[in-house]
Amino acid sequence: MVSKKNPAEPKEKTLTGMSRMGWFCSYTPLEIIHAALLFPVRITGHSDPIIKADSFMHPNMCQYVRSCLDTALAGGYDHLEGAVFVNSCDAMRRLHDAWRKYISPGFTFIMDLPKGRSDADYGYFRNELLKLKNALEKHFSIEITEGAIKQAINVMGESRSLYHKLSDLQKENPPLITGKELMQLASLYFTVGPYTWNKTAEALFKQKNDAKPTAVNRPRILLSGSPIHNPDIIGFIEECGMDVVYEDMCTGSRFFDMIVENTADTLLDLSRAYLDKSPCSRMLMIKERTKNIVDLANEFGAHGIIHHSLKFCDTYLYDVPQLKRHLTESGLKVLLVEGDCTLGSFGQLKTRIEAFAEVLND
Amino acid sequence: MSMLETYFAQLEEGLKKKLERKTTARRKFIYEISRIGGKMFDDNLSSAWTTVFVPFEILNAMGVAGNFIEFVGAMMAGAGIGRQYLEKAEAAGYSTDSCAYHRTIVGAALEGIMPEPDLLIGASCPCDGGIKVLKRIGEIYKKDVFVINTPYEYTPESLDYLVNQFKAMIDFIKERTGRDIDFDLLRQSIRNNNKAREYLVEALELCKNVPSPASSNDWKNFIMFVLLAGSEPAIEVARIYRDEFKEKVGKGLAGLADEKYRLLWIQNRIQFKNNLINILESKFGANVVIDELNYIYWEPMDEEGDPLRALAIRQITHPIIGNIDRRLDVLAMLGREYKCHGAINPAHWGCRQSGGARYMFKEALREVDVPVIHLDVDCVDERNFSEGQIITRLEAFMEML
Repeated sequence: MVSKKNPAEPKEKTLTGMSRMGWFCSYTPLEIIHAALLFPVRITGHSDPIIKADSFMHPNMCQYVRSCLDTALAGGYDHLEGAVFVNSCDAMRRLHDAWRKYISPGFTFIMDLPKGRSDADYGYFRNELLKLKNALEKHFSIEITEGAIKQAINVMGESRSLYHKLSDLQKENPPLITGKELMQLASLYFTVGPYTWNKTAEALFKQKNDAKPTAVNRPRILLSGSPIHNPDIIGFIEECGMDVVYEDMCTGSRFFDMIVENTADTLLDLSRAYLDKSPCSRMLMIKERTKNIVDLANEFGAHGIIHHSLKFCDTYLYDVPQLKRHLTESGLKVLLVEGDCTLGSFGQLKTRIEAFAEVLND
Repeated sequence: MSMLETYFAQLEEGLKKKLERKTTARRKFIYEISRIGGKMFDDNLSSAWTTVFVPFEILNAMGVAGNFIEFVGAMMAGAGIGRQYLEKAEAAGYSTDSCAYHRTIVGAALEGIMPEPDLLIGASCPCDGGIKVLKRIGEIYKKDVFVINTPYEYTPESLDYLVNQFKAMIDFIKERTGRDIDFDLLRQSIRNNNKAREYLVEALELCKNVPSPASSNDWKNFIMFVLLAGSEPAIEVARIYRDEFKEKVGKGLAGLADEKYRLLWIQNRIQFKNNLINILESKFGANVVIDELNYIYWEPMDEEGDPLRALAIRQITHPIIGNIDRRLDVLAMLGREYKCHGAINPAHWGCRQSGGARYMFKEALREVDVPVIHLDVDCVDERNFSEGQIITRLEAFMEML
């Protein structure tokens, strides 16, 4: 998460004069926002104590939602033209309500998100995409063309391919790119345009692919669970003596883990792509989620899993007992941690993380 | 006979005897609910564990006894037997930050005291926790869970989407139980709903009288009425409520003698035994005259058209679904029309969908001059309940009123 003093300000602009549109959840169809010639900026909240938001929400709401509201109440997102929400969880629904009521109006939209993959689900979500497109067109008096959406799909498709090329470098032993570096790159995507990012990613790939690091046998872990916005947290885990060779989070790989088909019905293509992508906990597909984690751990040579649950996040917390059982049954060593997605909360877990590294070393 | 079966059987038997001596609306209601609980053990029916907002009429029309999981969690808390199941769930890794209704039921399932359901059917609303815990229960019993995605808003497309899901749910039940739907029975349940609705609207309207003919506990946990939805007993329960309150109003009888303050209760009651209501009534003459969840928000259902569509409209228009605006409108309307002096919001620890709105509740009710007190409690887990502290806060609130 960014510091509250420096809210999600894009580090560079790719196109001058573009309006910025905030978004939260990785199921937000950025292709449509790009096609509207808006600059999507991920809203990440902050890592500091909550100042204002606790007057508006019960402290048993997650740090992410409260800190997003806290930053917004302090004017940290005043530079945005609006925000696109997804009905991803109870807390996000309430954040959307609070945003409409207490943050400067602008454009506010919430999309529903089904927990399923039937034809009816694809059709329903397609209609949600259409509603977003129509709402953007009406609010900004623009037309979002089919061609513009396809163009956005293409450039984002390139980004996704590049991310996976870089991620594959982590399969090497030692990994050719650290988990922190990859997370820094992923985070960059949420603050710069895809064209700029693609160039950066391409350059980084060339640099890392040519690297010849000295082999050091460190435990390799896969990090899964609630979103972590701060790459320093990955760095912290790596400083505890492990290599984070894959992260299964919506702030990293799960954002990029998507393939959009190219048929005559572009919105349906997008609908299918978003609903078919590697599911997060709220999608209720724990078997698939577990299988993905195990398969990825094997593919990337991970010796263990650290699963992080955001405190007060029901979608992840209710999965923990079953997930642990499934992962342990697969023969992987598992460390379950709970925190508020801040570096401070991970700092408190240092002893446990170091102990886990020792277990993996044995 | 299992502990749970014995509990419902004894409850039913005890209430039956009491009803033979004197019929009251409350007794009749609890009696019928206990019979629903007992149906979980009826070999002639299939059984389903559900979340709270599912169309029980469809289940009934297919010979399926449905029970929503929070009902059992509340019942166990009320009977004072919830603690061991909470501890069981926590030992299995369920966070104490999660909803205790859900932890109780998953603990009970892990302990093996729950009857094994034939089916598990849940809706995505009102909360994330309900459908998630149903999934966990499904894993315990190695059964699939049918998930109803309740749309966020009411549009022609979202209505079609929900109706189609109900059709898929019927197929799911048919496939797993071999039971087909009786559409005549379903249509009858729509007519029954409308009849019961008429009585309930009238009964609740009577409670707008000052003093109210109802006391604080007459309508306690009336949300469980959804388990009776569409049935003949539902009409009977509703009629008795109407008749009882009509008679009382006619005779000038109050539910609470010397009613001084009228209160609105937001969301659920506290389920385990406690003295808050007694103190409010006896010390301050404060009467809970309306519970938010008892408000009949739905319009009469279409008796001529597609019953699935009628049920979908009722589900999708619940004020707790979608954005907060309709819920706030309902709260303000209830505060105003029931002439409430204040509102109590027991901010249930594990509840995000309400916890995230507590300031909005306060703001909406402030506009109709109804102050709100938020009680930081867990409505099911009594282990951290500090009755003294809560009473002190309530007393201060009442003095302020």
